[in-house]
Amino acid sequence: MARVNPEFTDELKKYGAFDPNACYNCGNCTAVCTLSDEENSFPRKMVRYSVLGLDSEIKTSLDPWLCYYCGECSKTCPREADPGELMMSLRRWLIAKYDWTGLSGLLYKSLAASITAFVVLAGLVVWFGAYEHFHLETIMHYGHLFEMFAISIVFTFILLPNIIHMWWLSVYKTGKKAPISAYFKAIGELIVHMFTQKRALGCDDNQFRWFEHFILVLGYLSLLFTTVFLDWFSTQSMFIIVLGYIESAVIFVVTFDFVRRRIQKDQEISKHSQPSDWFFVIWLFLMGLTAFLVRLFIDTNLLDANVWMYIVQLTVLVQWAMIIVPFGKWTHFLYRSFAMYFHRIIELSE
Amino acid sequence: MNMQEQMKTLDYDVLVVGGGIAGGESALNLANIGYKVLIVEKELSIGGKMILLSKVFPTLDCAACITTPKVSEIARHPNITVFTGAEPLKITKKGEHRFEAVVLQNPRYVDVEACTGCQLCEEACPVSVTDEFQFGLIGRKAAFIPFSIASPRVAAIDIENCILCGACERACPPDCIDFTQTEQKYLVKAKAVVTATGFKLFDPLKIPRYGYDKFDNVITSMQMERELAPTRPFNTVLRPGDGKMPDNIAYVLCTGSRDKSVGNPICSQVCCMYSIKQAQLLMGSLPMADITIYYLHIRAFGKGFNEFYAQAQDMGVEFIKGKVGKITEKDNGNLILRYEDIEAGIVKEAEHDMVVLSVGVLPNRGIDEVFDNETLKLDPFHFINQSDILASPAKTSIDGVFVAGTASGPMDIPDSILSGGAASAETTSYLRREESI
Repeated sequence: MARVNPEFTDELKKYGAFDPNACYNCGNCTAVCTLSDEENSFPRKMVRYSVLGLDSEIKTSLDPWLCYYCGECSKTCPREADPGELMMSLRRWLIAKYDWTGLSGLLYKSLAASITAFVVLAGLVVWFGAYEHFHLETIMHYGHLFEMFAISIVFTFILLPNIIHMWWLSVYKTGKKAPISAYFKAIGELIVHMFTQKRALGCDDNQFRWFEHFILVLGYLSLLFTTVFLDWFSTQSMFIIVLGYIESAVIFVVTFDFVRRRIQKDQEISKHSQPSDWFFVIWLFLMGLTAFLVRLFIDTNLLDANVWMYIVQLTVLVQWAMIIVPFGKWTHFLYRSFAMYFHRIIELSE
Repeated sequence: MNMQEQMKTLDYDVLVVGGGIAGGESALNLANIGYKVLIVEKELSIGGKMILLSKVFPTLDCAACITTPKVSEIARHPNITVFTGAEPLKITKKGEHRFEAVVLQNPRYVDVEACTGCQLCEEACPVSVTDEFQFGLIGRKAAFIPFSIASPRVAAIDIENCILCGACERACPPDCIDFTQTEQKYLVKAKAVVTATGFKLFDPLKIPRYGYDKFDNVITSMQMERELAPTRPFNTVLRPGDGKMPDNIAYVLCTGSRDKSVGNPICSQVCCMYSIKQAQLLMGSLPMADITIYYLHIRAFGKGFNEFYAQAQDMGVEFIKGKVGKITEKDNGNLILRYEDIEAGIVKEAEHDMVVLSVGVLPNRGIDEVFDNETLKLDPFHFINQSDILASPAKTSIDGVFVAGTASGPMDIPDSILSGGAASAETTSYLRREESI
């Protein structure tokens, strides 16, 4: 027997939900949604669960990840209950629930905690720089090592357990018994969705947004590869240098457009920005821009006299890798594609 | 000043703005106890929206059979004067029981007294345009009689579309067509004013995802009302796209009502019931047809309403809980409705060959701007505010100005007539106060 929890929407509002209690259950949101189908009819079901406070139903559901936020439901909602933003808030809430450390929830709910985390990490980087007497080569050496370690540690200790937790909640706990073969059969789904966000193309007026996002993901992943494994900042290869310039430029140009849209609020998706959204786009923008500038300083022989440029880049990188990637909006990248993967597995088990 | 001198002055006890069923009821009551009443009606005929309806709920009486006797009584009443095609430009309260209104009489280009309504001008006129009194289902001429049971049933010239060929003039036996008519302004002195300006229908173009005007077989409930009326254009129920007799009709309730996204958050109070009524009438005229009503909540709150709803269910009308999200058209003109079946919690699609959008009731705005030196207050939804809604429902923010019918908010026909009655009673009481001083 489910227990109604009217306080749940108050909790959800801390993650950004507008007013799910305004809903009068007409189902317009589900009907206008191009991604909703007979097997997965959302978002009204999620609105209903939220209003009733059935958090265990939400926790085990993958529906919030199936939404790619075109905003059509919010635009046409007769009660202005903003179901699109509710789905976004549920994704934030789910990220907090998947995260075993509990830090995601803290950072989502408290702007002060987020800012403190950013400041502390910046302080640590500067302190480390001072400790090394701002010796450029040493700092760059450790900076490069940091990238590799950060990736493996964050992935092994935070993201991997969280994804297993997500699987536990959304597949195992729901009692769906999928054969092992399903996990192999569905792997294609995981890869396709991780790198292309194919599902977002199903949204109505979404082609350009999808394209921007697509080249951003490609730019980001290849820049990651270029800096970490091809050692962009130390390489002599002309090809790799130019490649890095292009990739970082793609990142800051596209994210600049994302920031612009969030400021202008011209589309439903960019109307409601939580601090986590701002951190994500701004830091991604800074990542692209500072990486671009550092390499430019190297190529113009300015970096030796301007160690601060690299310190800034490293600060942005550390904040990104230690806050946004493990606990922030970056996790969408993983959870969305794993949601499609688990969803396929559940389909195969039926 | 100069203009005022030129204006002809008319003296009445009461000025009634709007000649629909509520304004007409008020005027009749007042005239019957001896007050001189002027009805100023913007349209070319009195009778308002009701005279164009098919039948009324929940009794299924013929709407025209109730309206036309009243309309004739109004037209022939010795104490009532009717101006059609006229509107008040300015109403000034000079003091208690002293109102002055500037009324504009638009030219009809027809001598109303002389016209016999023979319709020869209609035959002669070469210009065809869309007929607004049939809500765009068919056409009419530029020289035309508004509709067959109009009052006055005389011709008018649609000067916007007229090509001034003179064919009607030559065809007219009593020579009543007069292109020299001009706008006429009157200074009307009255002791009280009744505002019965009615309502407007929601324009479904504001919901593009329903495809009104884009898909031929998506019509409004008012268009269906015309298809079902005794004076209907096709003499049967047809879908406009190809003239096929529909056999699977869907109703989309709450089109433009209870919908903040289109700026109208309130319930229109009539759509549930008129849709149920039309469904029952359709089952009579198209016995083989399936009727489905997509609803949010059925509001059958009036006397006999719930029984009427149950009767429709018993007749086989299908009721599905769920707001239609969007409509798409197939090549054969049929329509696919996408909705969430709320009881099952599953998004579904259903095919129908005709869709009726049950459009809501909106305020007919602008009357407050006519009042010159005092403010006629509106409610948050732009209907006329009833300053004492429980004790004196016809009272407005101006003493001596009363409100009747849907000008104060959405309501059905019995309530409009009641409201018209209340307005006439309160007007009488206001006028008697002067007499007793």
